[in-house]
Amino acid sequence: MKTSPYGKIPGALAAGAGVLLLLPLAGIDAFFLDVLTLGFLVAVYAGSWDIVGGLAGQVSLGHALFFGAATYACALLTSLAGWPFPLAAGAALLLSTAAGAAVGTLSAPLKGPFVALLTLVLGEAAHEFFLGQMFFSPRGGYSWGGEGGIPVLLRGQPLSPWAAYYSALAFLVLSTWLMLRIARSEEGLFWTALSGSELSARASGVDIQKHKRRAFMVGAALAGAAGVGFAACVGRATADDFSLELSFQAATFAAVGGRGTIVGPVLSALVLHSLLQGTGIPPAGRVLLYALALLVTLRFFPGGVAGTLRERARSRRMVLPGKGEGR
Amino acid sequence: MPPLAQVLVDGVFTGASYALMAAGLALILGVVKVINLSHGAFFTLGAYVAYVLDSKGVGHPVAAVFMAAGIAFTFGVFLGKSFINPVRSHPFSVAVGSLGFAILSEQAAQMLWGPHPLSIDMGLPWATLHGVTLRRWGVISFLLSLGLIGGLSLFLSRPWGLPLKLIAEDEEIAGSVGMDVEKIRYLTFGAASAVAAIAGALLAPAAAITPTMGRVPLILSLIVVIASGMEKVWNIFFLAIGLGVLSNVSAYLLAPGGSYLLLLGIVVLLLVARPSGLSVAAPGRDY
Repeated sequence: MKTSPYGKIPGALAAGAGVLLLLPLAGIDAFFLDVLTLGFLVAVYAGSWDIVGGLAGQVSLGHALFFGAATYACALLTSLAGWPFPLAAGAALLLSTAAGAAVGTLSAPLKGPFVALLTLVLGEAAHEFFLGQMFFSPRGGYSWGGEGGIPVLLRGQPLSPWAAYYSALAFLVLSTWLMLRIARSEEGLFWTALSGSELSARASGVDIQKHKRRAFMVGAALAGAAGVGFAACVGRATADDFSLELSFQAATFAAVGGRGTIVGPVLSALVLHSLLQGTGIPPAGRVLLYALALLVTLRFFPGGVAGTLRERARSRRMVLPGKGEGR
Repeated sequence: MPPLAQVLVDGVFTGASYALMAAGLALILGVVKVINLSHGAFFTLGAYVAYVLDSKGVGHPVAAVFMAAGIAFTFGVFLGKSFINPVRSHPFSVAVGSLGFAILSEQAAQMLWGPHPLSIDMGLPWATLHGVTLRRWGVISFLLSLGLIGGLSLFLSRPWGLPLKLIAEDEEIAGSVGMDVEKIRYLTFGAASAVAAIAGALLAPAAAITPTMGRVPLILSLIVVIASGMEKVWNIFFLAIGLGVLSNVSAYLLAPGGSYLLLLGIVVLLLVARPSGLSVAAPGRDY
């Protein structure tokens, strides 16, 4: 796109990717390597939210449901059922996609705030269920689950921090590219139409329920992929993977980075996660800062960072400044 | 293990206070026209205020109620005036922002008072009837809730309640007859938040006081509001009592977490069964 408002970004992106490639070689310590590795996975998770909540405009407050479904599937299938990890990862991806299809089907007839309400409630229900659900290991008689979590068995050599870092980085770059491709495909166009006005989308003959469901499936599959990576890196799945805080974080990253731009949420997730995690703020303080950042962003950019900036740029170009479309 | 009769009576008492919470949420939905996910935070605030006052030796429910209402009103007016009103027309900002405020206050409560459940001494049984004990605080909270609900019902049926009803009906007409719609909106938001905090203060002795305790009453109020409307205050009252009894009985018969799951399930069923939801709640009507 020649008239892209983000004309200067690809250069900055390339520079940023270069720095990220160089960092492990420049000898940062293992702690920061670990923070960044998880940051890449969180960034994919934030991008996957943006597919549903930004691009397609279906505000989901239960996105952790898909993430947690994948981590739990990985843990249960490797530890309880004894499956090899790659097979369990594939099954986890299928499961989270199916969960996306189910949530998408349920929420397809709903509008605006009710989609947020339904996804919030479904995520809370999954969290509450898995918080109380214990599993008993066949050997050793351990009791797993709840906040203590379930171990993920990788078998064989654990991934070295370097390998984990570079594979997570590759995963981030690949999935961001994929998300941008999807956003610019015909399907992405349908989603943009949905988020603009459902009424005019339907008037132009778009099967809105089908495309809503698809948006949820794609977003859930990507969140599931992030969950699989998370399970492999952390080696444990806990009930917190379903928590409202995690769902809320996804929406926060998207709101701060600019809803519907994919790259914005990915970058804001990476930056915010690394900053707050790297400075060693306790978890409660971290969530508090996320919430604060979100409220300030929403207050001053109620239509989204990207949307409000675009509107301001447009009204500056117009003859009568300030007399925009009133949207 | 308490007998079932005790569980039923306690359910009626807690349900009455939940009705206050639900009435506040309904008022916000009707007048401000947003689904306020931060409503539970004010409930939690009220409970912590009651706890702090109790630990300082001021154990009287009425003192807790006034203190909680005052604090929650100021916070509610602030939130309504400087956040909800400006972003009101953006459903994403309202939903995520009000949830953000709820999470912000949950974390703040956790930092101030810790994540562990706190409790208030219920006091001695006030009367015993056929093995069912009634406690002073429970009776006071029931009567206060009943009084406030009655007051709200009266308010809405009299000329003073007309501005609220008119704004709920048609905000443009309300504006054109000279009402300060925005001001009435944030005052309503503050009053509704105060009422939620009163419910929290009244229920504090009957519940474990934790930072996330506001989530259950929020979900319960959402059910009431989806199934009822703003003006039929007595519908809200009886529906909330029914749900209070239901959640108490299910917590008694199933696991303690079971009642929350049951309430969440009811929300899903209601939303799936009535996809159109509430007509008042959809600001950008899009048929």
